Amino acid sequence: MTARRMTARRMTAGRMTAGPAETAPDPDEAQRAIEYCYEQGWSDGLPLVPASTPLVDRFLATTDKDPGEIIGSLEQVGRDCTVYTAAVNAAMAGCEPEYFPVVLAAFEALMRERAARGGGFQSTSGPAPLIVVNGKIRTELGFNSAGGAFGPGFRPNMTIPRAIGLIVRNAFGIHPHVLEQATQGVPGRWSLCLAENEEESPWEPLAANGGVPGGASAVSATLTRTMEFVDNRHTPHAEQVLWDLADTISRIGSLIFKETAVAVVLCPEHAQMFANAGMSKADVQRWLIEHSGRTGRDLRLAGKNGLHGIGRFGSDDTSGDAEFNRIIPGPRGIPVVVAGAKNAAISMVVRIFGEWSGTSVPVGEIK
Amino acid sequence: MPNTILDPTGTVTTAAARPAAPRAPRPATLRGARVGLLINTKQNARPFLEEAGRLLADRYGVTLTARTKLNFAMPEPEEVIKELVATSDVVITGVGDCGSCSAAAAADGVVLEAAGLPVAAIVTDSFRATADAMAELRGAPGYTYATTAHPIAVLTEDQVKERAARVLDDLVALLTEPDA
Repeated sequence: MTARRMTARRMTAGRMTAGPAETAPDPDEAQRAIEYCYEQGWSDGLPLVPASTPLVDRFLATTDKDPGEIIGSLEQVGRDCTVYTAAVNAAMAGCEPEYFPVVLAAFEALMRERAARGGGFQSTSGPAPLIVVNGKIRTELGFNSAGGAFGPGFRPNMTIPRAIGLIVRNAFGIHPHVLEQATQGVPGRWSLCLAENEEESPWEPLAANGGVPGGASAVSATLTRTMEFVDNRHTPHAEQVLWDLADTISRIGSLIFKETAVAVVLCPEHAQMFANAGMSKADVQRWLIEHSGRTGRDLRLAGKNGLHGIGRFGSDDTSGDAEFNRIIPGPRGIPVVVAGAKNAAISMVVRIFGEWSGTSVPVGEIK
Repeated sequence: MPNTILDPTGTVTTAAARPAAPRAPRPATLRGARVGLLINTKQNARPFLEEAGRLLADRYGVTLTARTKLNFAMPEPEEVIKELVATSDVVITGVGDCGSCSAAAAADGVVLEAAGLPVAAIVTDSFRATADAMAELRGAPGYTYATTAHPIAVLTEDQVKERAARVLDDLVALLTEPDA
């Protein structure tokens, strides 16, 4: 059955009320099952959907992959995740079975990140995966790509990143205060899943930048440290908006290495303004790479002017005060995505932990 | 017959989770020992370990070989372990002062012990829980290592030296067994 048909069926079912012919679920039993999951230490803090074999079988039926196939390993802790374990966690996260190919693609995309394989989940930074979905799967599964793109309110956007978080907790065994050592962590960790607003974007989708062209359904993912809005709704000049974005990108607090990376999530209004000014996505990236950075003096005042290897440290040396230091190494260090409603000129600068792999993962055909 | 609630934790299958070999036998003294310094590249790790090495050279006439970890967040690969075994009698590693590098310091320690090398891993006191968890995961519950107060990245050169001096007796105690 196609996802579209399943969605249609669900919507029909949703309008039905539990009449006398239907047995309403037993809330006491449901609560006991939820508490059982808490007691096992499986939960991220919120209630889990207790997973059963019939439910997980429906997840496994959406993919050609063997349930025993290992789809990710954390070498340093000696743990693997199989398709089966991923399916159990996706079910517990509240995903619908037909989301599972997206969960698999998102997990693969994330595990392509060097930082994710190399200790990122244990890091004091407490980084949050940002998942970006492209293609027709967005509408088939009911992703939100418009107003409130960063959520909440939409089941696929909320439950798919949660599934990834549960995989990290349960399959990899990375628990807070033990192998997970986040100092403060990132608000919204395990809940960041954007569907790109391709309908209102003037440019190619992110997946095309990640090597999956032709509008195919695909997922991109990276680890992030936080995000900051850029509200600029009163100027008609594209370049002024670009300066505003560059200022936020250049915030010193986020600079710990010589170079940094950001994802720029443009609202449709900003993206269209740039396109109307004749700029391609690559032009926007080039402009921001050129203009994002700080003077040596700015960095020195904040104790980040000296470089030992790739790390930034304080130094009393004032000889580099006048120099402008660029911080984005190239286009892969500044992926651009379009998401949100065309109702205000508010965009987001998302700080990437490490760097994006620059690759997107096609979503497997849903059977 | 109701359905069972499924377990989402999977199974532990890879090599890292196998039980480690016992702790390496200790020499009675460090006199004349070849000490390997495995520096994890975190800020102040190098001066910390080099100062500890210098003090051991003064006190016991040890010889020093320093090398840096390939990736502070990850346990060292087999070829580095082999090289350390070939060139050192004991190893000092650290300083684990972050989530992944403190766990990696404990993991390196357990693996090197299994290869026959006594190790003193140094971790800042904020990361005991994660070092302990990693050691247990590697089959060495209760693995002992040295701690120093967090943070060390912000210390001056003199403060780092003072810290190294203060932890020195712990390092010697971890690396030797005088009554053996």
